[in-house]
Amino acid sequence: MAGKTLYDKLWDAHEVRRNDDGTSILYIDRHLLHEVTSAQAFEGLELAERKPWRIDANLAVSDHNVPTTDRRGGIRDPISRLQVDTLDANCDKHHIVQFKMNDRRQGIVHVIGPEQGATLPGMTVVCGDSHTSTHGAFACLAHGIGTSEVEHVLATQCLLQKKSKNMRIVVNGRLGKGVSPKDLILGIIGRIGTAGGTGYAIEYAGDAITALSMEGRMTVCNMSVEAGARAGIIAVDDKTIDYVKGRPFAPTGEMWDRAVAAWRGLVSDADAVFDHEVVFDAESIVPHVTWGTSPEMVIGVDARIPDPREEEDPFRREGMERALAYMGLEAGTPMSDVKVDKIFIGSCTNGRLEDLRAAADIVRGRRIADNIKLAMVVPGSGVVKQQAEEEGIHEAFIEAGFEWREPGCSMCLGMNDDRLEPGERCASTSNRNFEGRQGHLSRTHLVGPAMAAACAVAGHFVDVREW
Amino acid sequence: MSESGRAWVYGDGINTDLLAPAAYLKGSMEELAAHCLQDLDPDFARSVKEGDVFVAGDNLGIGSSREQAPQALQMLGIRTVLAKSFGRIFYRNALNLGMPALVCADTDRIRSGDRLRVDATAGVVENLTSGETLACESLPPHLVEMVADGGLIPHLKKKLAGGR
Repeated sequence: MAGKTLYDKLWDAHEVRRNDDGTSILYIDRHLLHEVTSAQAFEGLELAERKPWRIDANLAVSDHNVPTTDRRGGIRDPISRLQVDTLDANCDKHHIVQFKMNDRRQGIVHVIGPEQGATLPGMTVVCGDSHTSTHGAFACLAHGIGTSEVEHVLATQCLLQKKSKNMRIVVNGRLGKGVSPKDLILGIIGRIGTAGGTGYAIEYAGDAITALSMEGRMTVCNMSVEAGARAGIIAVDDKTIDYVKGRPFAPTGEMWDRAVAAWRGLVSDADAVFDHEVVFDAESIVPHVTWGTSPEMVIGVDARIPDPREEEDPFRREGMERALAYMGLEAGTPMSDVKVDKIFIGSCTNGRLEDLRAAADIVRGRRIADNIKLAMVVPGSGVVKQQAEEEGIHEAFIEAGFEWREPGCSMCLGMNDDRLEPGERCASTSNRNFEGRQGHLSRTHLVGPAMAAACAVAGHFVDVREW
Repeated sequence: MSESGRAWVYGDGINTDLLAPAAYLKGSMEELAAHCLQDLDPDFARSVKEGDVFVAGDNLGIGSSREQAPQALQMLGIRTVLAKSFGRIFYRNALNLGMPALVCADTDRIRSGDRLRVDATAGVVENLTSGETLACESLPPHLVEMVADGGLIPHLKKKLAGGR
């Protein structure tokens, strides 16, 4: 019999029961909550006169609605305030651990989970947020759920699931200088497409993946959902264990030793069989920029915007034409000629310390270009912000003309006041370039943090490898 | 499921941000629904009627886990969604809300405004306008039961009340 994949192992360890219809009941170890997708779930629980099944499996934080400017006066927008207050009240009522807005540990839910050690190897992790795939970097089976399922998990600590197929993406070799984990995942999505991972759990493997830091691995797993996959996972190694050690929620003493011994087994067996495998050469990955309205509409920064007339498939051609019209771009234009209005550095994809360091290294001693209306840095958490300030990173940004903000989801999706105006073009380190994602009629170009920083200085896209 | 509805046909990659724009996620469902698809077809939310059918190409509902995306369609009167393929979380969310989401390889054959009659259990789409009958993947029995119960939570309550 063939060995097991990492995904098989995680699945088997959490399968409570397999039903005759092919579905399984899966036990959930960690449930992360935020304010946008939990209110109705708590309300449903209340109506049914139930309580959360296992309080200490939950960890909550408000991230989507919180202002990134001065918070001392609270949240001005009454609707945002109500959503945040509702999460506070629900957590207080049920004694769920929560980092409130002015807590130093507050931040984007997918940044704080790993940061606090609340995300531990081998866990099943769910959250009412699609970027829960981030936690797969710790060999967790982690995926987003909707509000009905949030209620289901609160009530039962389980989910009804159907097992996915196994895909492995192997990235051999080493990423070149100036090429970031974000460029790697954009390159992968560009090749396999936004439906390439549909029906699969993707395991990332190979030298280039092993060489990534935990933060880089989180960036890659984060955008697995943009490739259509249910989850993205990476095997445990020394980096995983070193990262987790000593974090507030991580086990200690004898429990730590036992946990590490178990975690070491969280790798695919050598003879495991994958349903599908794709191999990449890391050296072929260049800095990427999206040109359209889907993450798969992506090219190297040194390329020209593609011409729909060269696309044979009529549906794809029409999609490209629509995207170019929406983005206000002409086919054939060199990507590096495209000027931008705003810069956003942050999000659950690229709002961690290494991301901010990479961007700061580019802007240090330079100034943002005159055509940049706003350049902002939004750290992924209060802890990230504090660490960055201890390193003086904030000064490099502020001196270059960036705004240094408070942590949250911010302009990744513009649920707070951080939004683009109609027609504005943004170089953004976030994860989605959908129509209207960063505000009504907004134009988003997804890039890595160093590229976003270089773009701020140059005023247009530039090949950051030449900086 | 003998009622027919009007088809609203869109292309590939209709994502959750188009269906449920983030700026309206914090207000009422009514307000959010009024802005459903505003960046693609501002006429949709104004004109869609009870019992209509939402039809798309590949990857319908890719993106966010926000259940408000299928919920906005449901609130506007959409009773069935058909697509060549779905974003996984959207698919699950639609069914969890009690709204059949059916995979149909031939959605290209449907035109906006066609009258459709959909039988989710049998996996059949009758196009009353063109006279064509299209096959779609039928829902497995456990999902048919859940959808008939009104979605995941009502279904769970029923099961728990039944002592299962």
